[in-house]
Amino acid sequence: MSDTVSDRGTGAIDELTDALAARAYLADRGLATVLHVALALGKPLLLEGEAGVGKTEVAKTLAEVLGARLIRLQCYEGIDAAHALYDWSYARQMLAIRLIETGEATAAGETRAERLHDLFSREFLVRRPLLDAIEHDDPVPPVLLIDEIDRADDEFEAFLLELLSDFQVTIPEIGTIRAAERPVVILTSNRTRELHDALKRRCLYHWIGHPALEREIAIVRARVPGVPERLAAEAAAFVEQLRGSDLAKLPGVAETIDWTQALVALGQEELDAAVVDATLGSVLKYHEDLERVRDRGLQQLVAEAKRRVDA
Amino acid sequence: MRRLVTFGRILREAGLEVGPGRLQDALRALAAVRLDDRDEVYHALRCTIVSRRDDGEAFDAAFATFWERAPGGELEHRPPLMQLEGGAGEHEAPRIDGPQASRHADDGRRGAPGEGDAAPQAAVYSAEELLRTRDFARFGPDELRRARALVDRIAIVSPARRSLGDRPAHDGRRIDLRRTLRQSMRTGGQPIERAWRRPRSVPRRLVFLVDVSGSMEPYARAMTMFLQAAVRAGRHVEAFTFGTRLTRLTPYLVGRDPDRALERAARAVPDWAGGTRIGENLKAFNDVWGRRALSRGAVVVIVSDGWERGDPSLLGSEMARLHRAAHTVVWVNPLAGGPGYRPLVAGMAAALPFVDRFLPGHDLQALESLAAALESIPATRHTAGVPRRGVAA
Repeated sequence: MSDTVSDRGTGAIDELTDALAARAYLADRGLATVLHVALALGKPLLLEGEAGVGKTEVAKTLAEVLGARLIRLQCYEGIDAAHALYDWSYARQMLAIRLIETGEATAAGETRAERLHDLFSREFLVRRPLLDAIEHDDPVPPVLLIDEIDRADDEFEAFLLELLSDFQVTIPEIGTIRAAERPVVILTSNRTRELHDALKRRCLYHWIGHPALEREIAIVRARVPGVPERLAAEAAAFVEQLRGSDLAKLPGVAETIDWTQALVALGQEELDAAVVDATLGSVLKYHEDLERVRDRGLQQLVAEAKRRVDA
Repeated sequence: MRRLVTFGRILREAGLEVGPGRLQDALRALAAVRLDDRDEVYHALRCTIVSRRDDGEAFDAAFATFWERAPGGELEHRPPLMQLEGGAGEHEAPRIDGPQASRHADDGRRGAPGEGDAAPQAAVYSAEELLRTRDFARFGPDELRRARALVDRIAIVSPARRSLGDRPAHDGRRIDLRRTLRQSMRTGGQPIERAWRRPRSVPRRLVFLVDVSGSMEPYARAMTMFLQAAVRAGRHVEAFTFGTRLTRLTPYLVGRDPDRALERAARAVPDWAGGTRIGENLKAFNDVWGRRALSRGAVVVIVSDGWERGDPSLLGSEMARLHRAAHTVVWVNPLAGGPGYRPLVAGMAAALPFVDRFLPGHDLQALESLAAALESIPATRHTAGVPRRGVAA
């Protein structure tokens, strides 16, 4: 905007925006600024927002931009350290014990006790995403995506908190492993519950909302190759109308993209009520919502969407 | 730098907690962006300072003030936008002394439902939303003690559900490889003693929706006490109140000091002793909190007399929605304590088909039986959809 800027951060945010856009992710200024700040400060970034607004996609695209590996940890209820951090390969350990038993493995002059001790060495360690992210030897630190943290239990959140504060893990049998270079950490939450303040304090925070119409059209055009311009605009306008109505589950950008893909596959150049009726299930996933929207009259909704695009 | 500290103070006045750690982050974030670009400064500050969506508004208002005045000035006095909290308390709505006024004299413990003419009297609504606060903490010391002891009970015996995670157990069904292997070291690598795991039981989420309209007032006060201790006891309890609008009470109820928590809660509820629109409030709950899956798999307890001023059919359809998401829906109706009570009120009748347990709630004993009922909710299966009519004393 202004040219009388100090040299710090000059244009870095615009560059990041462009780099993301080149990979078909259109970030608004807020998100781009926050990503830039997160990278500059080396702090984890917590992204919250409704389902389907592109939280997970940000992390994927950011990894591409940075040329980094994406390590994804999908959270679920009951997830624990053995699933997220490391575990031992019990089957291989059992086999190794058998080999020691039969004496085959002691040939190298090791005593049985030494061999037994080796059972808890790196050789038998199963590395899960978090350990992978801490103990990496990538040229560029990986992007660690901790997806849907709100689904995990409180205890796991506390465990994560410890990890995010110093990026080191202690495995009793092996010792402490410390991240040489910290990974870029992105956490996402659908906000099915409020997260601990302690965890939030460790993170930068950004809320991703539904995009404005113009941006959504641009996103659809970037994401759905070969989509007719008219169709992209009408589909986005239609979905935006739905968001303004009284539904159990509001469709996200992800739904708009899915739907447009379906429409393109059907060879549509623009919306018409019949094809909307046939494909509405890719936008609305609740029976009541479908009923409600059909009751309102698809013909009319389509006409309104067209009017918005023409305006 | 000084300006940022001032900004921190504005935010704190607006009700946002901003510790020195956050300010330090904010400072570092500012170093990474262009200081003369409003958007960049805004987002850099926002992502370091705001950590929940609801705080966004307060931040935006504070930022607007800050940015406008930024060049040099003192930001001493409190900008008018900042009256976010306590705003409701400053309105002095006309106080309507209706039939409820005489019932305030009751100690809130035993209201009218024992008497035959109680229901029509309770049906008198205040004509408008009464934006005034009421002091919760005006219980007699004896009741206070009893209520607190009771609440300790519910804290311990909250309903449980099976978790996906598991724990070591002798009588489990899944083999615990880690421990089996460890134990096998003792027996020369032979897994002779096997270790087992079984699913863990974790507290099921408990959501209270308490009617605080005029007709419910004597009971709502007691219920709020109950809520306060329940919320304090476990993180799996969520509390809402509704009259003319829905208020999430949970954040006000946390904290160690029950009296102060109740005071905060009293201030937070804007529609204390106003009218009721149960259906609309349930809809608001389903739309906002149900969509965030707060009610999914939860035990939802609605405390209300079912006097619906709005459309009973809306109440019915919203109850159906709630019932689909929830594990069990419990309805506590203080009027049901009276002998020969029949759910004839249109609202109550519309809601009943979607209620799994129907209980009275007119006195402490009834609250005790509520605690017992919650305790007995099974960990896995959905309880039968057939409403339990009448009263389980």
